[in-house]
Order: sequence, then C-alpha cells, then structure tokens
Amino acid sequence: MSNSRKGVKLFYDVISPYSWLAFEVLCRYRNVWNIDLTLKPAYLTGVIYGSGNQPAGANPSKLMYMVSDLKLTSEYFGVPMFRPSSISEKDSLNAMRFVTAIAEKGKDGDTLERVSRELWKRKWRTQQDITQPASLTDAGLKAGLSANEVEEILTLSKSQPIKDKLKSVTEEALEYRVSVYLYPLSFPLKCLCGKNIIKHPYTIFFPFLQCFGFPFIVCNVNGKAKVFFGSDRFELMAYFFGEKWVGPQPDKPTVQM
Amino acid sequence: MSSSRKVVELFYDVVSPYSWLAFEVLCRYRNVWNIDLKFKPAYLGGVMHESGNRPPGMVPNKFHYMTTDLKRLSDYFGVHLSPPSNVFEAMFEKGTLNAMRFVTAVAEKEKGGDMLVERVSRELWKRIWSTDQDITQPASLTEAGLKAGLSANEVEAILTLSKSQPIKDKLKSVTQEALEHKCFGFPFIVCYVNGKPEVFFGSDRFELMAHCIGEKWVGPQPANPRAKM
Repeated sequence: MSNSRKGVKLFYDVISPYSWLAFEVLCRYRNVWNIDLTLKPAYLTGVIYGSGNQPAGANPSKLMYMVSDLKLTSEYFGVPMFRPSSISEKDSLNAMRFVTAIAEKGKDGDTLERVSRELWKRKWRTQQDITQPASLTDAGLKAGLSANEVEEILTLSKSQPIKDKLKSVTEEALEYRVSVYLYPLSFPLKCLCGKNIIKHPYTIFFPFLQCFGFPFIVCNVNGKAKVFFGSDRFELMAYFFGEKWVGPQPDKPTVQM
Repeated sequence: MSSSRKVVELFYDVVSPYSWLAFEVLCRYRNVWNIDLKFKPAYLGGVMHESGNRPPGMVPNKFHYMTTDLKRLSDYFGVHLSPPSNVFEAMFEKGTLNAMRFVTAVAEKEKGGDMLVERVSRELWKRIWSTDQDITQPASLTEAGLKAGLSANEVEAILTLSKSQPIKDKLKSVTQEALEHKCFGFPFIVCYVNGKPEVFFGSDRFELMAHCIGEKWVGPQPANPRAKM
C-alpha cells in the first residue's frame, strides 16, 4: 500500500444517484487509501447541457436499464435507494446552492458531507422534496446544524455570490484541463442539436478533457491529474493509485485482487 | 458453487471496443465461472437506431473521455486496443454490417461449439481496433477468416453465405433479440439467474454480475493476478 496522500476531487449533484454511490465509496476509502477528499458540489443540468450531452433518462431504454442497474448496484454497494416517482432537471438547483453555501461558510468538513448525504437520502431513499426551504431546513437540521445556522445558510444560498460560486464550480468541471493529452482527432463538427455543420472530418487537437456527467472524479497521482466518470471505475483508480480495491464496502470485502 | 451452469449471452458488434474488452473477460472466465457462454453477434447500428440512442462518440466530451478511458482499460485488461487513425470513418462511415454478417455466417456454419466464432470475432477486432485495418471488403474478411484458422474454401463459402438473405435475416433477428431486452448499446450481457434474465451493459459490470450469479470477481485477468503494490 502506498503511503503518500492522494488528492481526489469529487464533482457531484444530489440529483445524481450514481454520484451518491461514488460519494459513499470515497468516504469509506478515505482512510484506507489515504485520500485527501475534496467535495465539489456542482450542477448536473449545467454540465449536461454545457457539454451537448443528454440526460440519460431521456432515452426510454436507458431509463429502464438504469432503474434495474441502480436496484442491483445500490444493494451491492450497501446504499439502499428507491427511485423517486418524479425527477425534474431543475430539482437540485436550490439544493446545490444550499450545499454550496455550506461549503463557502467553511464549516467543518463533516458538515458538507452530512448535509449532502441527508439531501441524497431525501430524494433517493425517502422520496421527499429537496426544492423547498422547509425541505432544506429539515436536511440541515438532520445533519446537525442549528436552526439559526440553517436560516443563515438558506439566506446565503439565495445570494448572488453563491449562485456565482455554484456556476463557477460547474464550469470548472466542464473545462477541466488535464496535462498534455494532445492527440489528433478526426471529428466532424456538429452543432449542439446534433446536426452536421461540416460533413467532412477534420483534424483537431484537444489539450483537455471536459466533463459530460456526474460523478466526475479528478485524482492527483504523482502530480498528474486523472479523470474518472461514474461509480464504476474504482478498480481502475486503485490500480493507478497502487492500492487495493476490495469492493464498495472495504469492511466487507467482496473482491479479491 | 451452483452445479447447473448459468447461461450468459454476450450481444456484441466488432465496431465496439468496449465489447472487445467484455468479450475477452468472458472468454477468460468461461472456465473459471460456472457459466455457459453464448456469443450473440449483432448489429450495433441497428440497436442505436431502434432504441433512439446515439453513439457516445457523437458528444465531443464523451469522445475525449472514451479515448483516455480505453487507453487505460487496454493496459489494465491486457487487451491491445489502439484506436483507428480515422475513428469516425471506421466506425460510422464504413461501419460493420458486412463484418457482422460474416461472423453470423461463421456462427451458422459452425456446429458443436463456438471456437471459430470466437477466433473470427477476435481477428476482426484486432483489425479495426488494433492494427487499423479495413473490415468491410471481402479481401479483409478473407484475411481475418484465414488468420482464425479457416481454410480458403471455407472462407469463400462463408463469404457467399454472408450475403444471403437467411444470414441477413439472422443478424437482424439477433439484433432484435437484444432490442427485446431493451438494449440501447453494446456490450450487452444477459445472465439467466434462476430462469430470470438480468441485464448488464458495458465492460464495467463484471464485479456486480459476479455477485448476482454467485461467483467471485478477481479482476479482468484471472490467470494473471496483478502484483500487489
């Protein structure tokens, strides 16, 4: 096992169930892999549209698959989840501003983690609202904040600086620059609606990787940044860290490498 | 370990690099896990079209990510993946219809086993996703067939068969079978657990799949466990 501390940034949104899985795994492995975990609350809808992607749930077959995948995966990960009856793209804007306000207030590291978890539990376990002030208050109180603190955070969350901060972290994910991955690509230019603007392929060079969904994990390994998308790249991440992956619950190993 | 073998179906198309990873893993595990592996050569273009999905490579950020992801996975999985010099042309302009009809014809002709289907599929993957060679022309398919151990006569017969209506229909029907499981992309794996189908998409669900079928996942190279760091 390597002794050096590894920097890991997790870009997430509480609307994203796979982000919850990644979040719990990283929290569990924090002391196992000697990770410096930095939580980066951001806005998934902003990333999806900013990257020209589509929400996975927009395709009926993908949606059906995700329902069964999440059922099996959440059970295997030990993070019980139940699909809410309705999910809307704007569902998490207020919630992520609330989480951003907590991050900005510089509360002890645990608070950000606890509030994020309470919001995930509301949306993805008990199927409750996360858009209204009363819902955010409930989550804040459950996470151990006092009534005064919650009120202060709620007010702060509606301020322009916090709206801007959420936007900037979201843009940080969209424009994540990774050191020299220069390679020639033949790629047809398409506009965001998918139509070909230029029919013939041409060669372009891309110096950076950009996010298209969450969870988006940036690992610093020996001074080099590596990005991973999804909650299904931990085995690969372990390989690059020089660590062991024993399954999503390190205290109950299911995998033997 | 259960005494009855669990049926595992792999729907794949050689246009798909992640399908190659899944294919190699399942080939390695077929004698490690108590499974009855069934190859289901199908047509990804048909699946994309019918499911209303679009190829991930059409989203620039996904395309960039996939290039890096495949490079790392190639190393970790021990499968020598190297993207073609003109990915768009190889995958979308030229496509793999002839290639998958060829594989389908090999499958139809092969009795008692799937060794030839396995070898021919691998040779086609190596051409498009390792040595950057064509897989649309008869000469290309011939070369792949010969490398897989078919004789010149056998290859010629399969080439002719691959252009026949029954083979075109067979490829269509296997593709339709995938769609009936609500498939939207490849690799698409169907495991029958207590008679009930469980579906897994991608080459990154093996750990979960092992858990579902009561087996153990020890990484993508069960015969070559990684040295502990």
